[in-house]
Amino acid sequence: MKPVLPFLMAGDPALEKLPGWLAEARGLGLDTIEVGLPHSDPIADGPVLQAAAQRAITAGATPRRVLECLARCPDSPDIVLFTYLNPLWQLGAGELIRLLRPTPVKSLLVVDLPFGEEPAWEEQLRAAGYPLVPLLTPTTSLARVAQLLNRSRQGGAGFAQNFVYLVARLGVTGQNGPMDLDSVQVRVAAVRGLTDRPLAVGFGLSAPAALDAVRAMGARPVVGSDVVERLAAGKTLRAALTAAGPPEPES
Amino acid sequence: MNVAPSTEFVLPARFGRAGLGGCYAPETLMTPLLELEAAFRAALADPVFQDELSRELRDFVGRPTPLMPAPRLAAAAGLRAVFLKREDLAHTGAHKINNALGQVLLARRMGKKEIIAETGAGQHGVATAAACARLGLDCTVYMGGADMARQAPNVARMKLLGAAVVAVPAGQGTLKEAVNEALRAWAGRCDRAHYVLGSALGPHPYPTIVRTFQQIIGEEARRQILETTGALPDVVVACAGGGSNGLGLMIPFLRDAVRLIAVEAGGHGRALGEHAARFDGGRLGVLHGCKTLVLQDTHGHTAATASVSAGLDYPALGPELAALMLDGKVTAWRATDEEALAAAQLLSRCEGVLPALECSHALAVLPRLAREGAPCVLLGLSGRGDKDLATFQQMGGAT
Repeated sequence: MKPVLPFLMAGDPALEKLPGWLAEARGLGLDTIEVGLPHSDPIADGPVLQAAAQRAITAGATPRRVLECLARCPDSPDIVLFTYLNPLWQLGAGELIRLLRPTPVKSLLVVDLPFGEEPAWEEQLRAAGYPLVPLLTPTTSLARVAQLLNRSRQGGAGFAQNFVYLVARLGVTGQNGPMDLDSVQVRVAAVRGLTDRPLAVGFGLSAPAALDAVRAMGARPVVGSDVVERLAAGKTLRAALTAAGPPEPES
Repeated sequence: MNVAPSTEFVLPARFGRAGLGGCYAPETLMTPLLELEAAFRAALADPVFQDELSRELRDFVGRPTPLMPAPRLAAAAGLRAVFLKREDLAHTGAHKINNALGQVLLARRMGKKEIIAETGAGQHGVATAAACARLGLDCTVYMGGADMARQAPNVARMKLLGAAVVAVPAGQGTLKEAVNEALRAWAGRCDRAHYVLGSALGPHPYPTIVRTFQQIIGEEARRQILETTGALPDVVVACAGGGSNGLGLMIPFLRDAVRLIAVEAGGHGRALGEHAARFDGGRLGVLHGCKTLVLQDTHGHTAATASVSAGLDYPALGPELAALMLDGKVTAWRATDEEALAAAQLLSRCEGVLPALECSHALAVLPRLAREGAPCVLLGLSGRGDKDLATFQQMGGAT
């Protein structure tokens, strides 16, 4: 299928759904997928992912249960674990690494942890094979972009451990409204001038034309809120991804 | 922008031996926070800004607020002397205006056109709405749905002052949810809006900015008590929600031989979810951009809290106050809902002053201080109680 980086919320509507979705993702030929570990105070998420996280927490998706469930999902694309610092930090780095070991998680995207704020914790995770994915936003100055790329230099295996996440617009996940694709294009080109690492572009992407435009920039579009909403409504991952560009029929 | 923005903070972002505070913000907010720190430092060093702030604090806010002896209250509590720092007499009825005014002046200086704020009890929202009206900036206040119901008079005041009030229905519908939503709104409009955080919490540089603008409470109180009695008090006591009023009062006494006590909301029980006492009920964690003592479950999810006072039910302590507690410089006590309501009634009848439920928690520990033999107590009366009339009536305190 066309390149895409889907986002799933672990535990919404039930944790038992996760292994099936991951296997389906692999069957669709996806090499990487984002899995959200729900948090009570998701300050960077819009209403759809807030509600999904709340449903997941209510249904019992604790960080430990999510990671133990992922340990039972060998048939999965590489996973980028998307979450907030506190649930991970409360486990302690040692226990977190122990829980991550048997899972397909390859990197962490911790939305409220700017690079350099917890250097020892970051280094311990990176040394164990779990680099933090750098997020670059429209407000990140190019000087800061260079600094973040330098600090997060990694070179692990595969997309999940190497990619850089470009936030397409100000605000939170799942915002609708027109996307200023020209400024995204300018941004992608500017970051391309600083790194040859693979790029993903997300936050507020859902229209098929916008996803194709991002692909045409040589970046992989992230689709989150739409997929989460459709999966919560009982659709298959394939059906949930149709808006992201219909999967090619399996031959 | 002509000047390349700084990529590092300059002011200390960490507090105490445990290194609390920090800046755990989404990347979208990092550059706005760096710009805010730079603008704050420049404003503090600018005599023009300082002059305007002093003038507005005098003419608009009504500073200095009085330090009032409360002899009948002292006698009722068994103390020799009690002095009340009357922040309830500041314009809009609470200490919140000190910070709101300072930050709105700062925002105007930064060329921002719009102000975003969160509010719990509504006092910070009213103060920010008033400062925005005074200085000609648009204002949007995010407020939890439950808080809007229990603090309806403040919602009406904000609207009269020209602010838009946005209800946040999520979660418990209190301050935590309002902060979540204000942070999200700021991330979407950070190019043109300034977020006026109301307590000494959040990501760096907010705890330092808020505390700096609130320190005037303690600076005045220290000078006033020395003028009145010729000596420092034995104890300085204040309530602690996020900690802006407590820190503002206590910081100028930190180097004195004065016992500092911050009173947290004991709510209606000792179990998690029944109170908002973070010092002995919380664990270190990260919430809303800073590392501090947080009421949370074993999974790192923020816990529910309970307090009769909408201004004290935040699940985390401001990082600087938490650090002062952990380092033994400030003592944390708690007072229950029932004790706070009784203390409010006592002050009303003894001295003719109706206190807000927040600082009624500080009033509630006066008998304990008397038992411990403290002769002279200086208490931060952070706000007035008119906004709490409905609660007093419901709880039988206004019979």
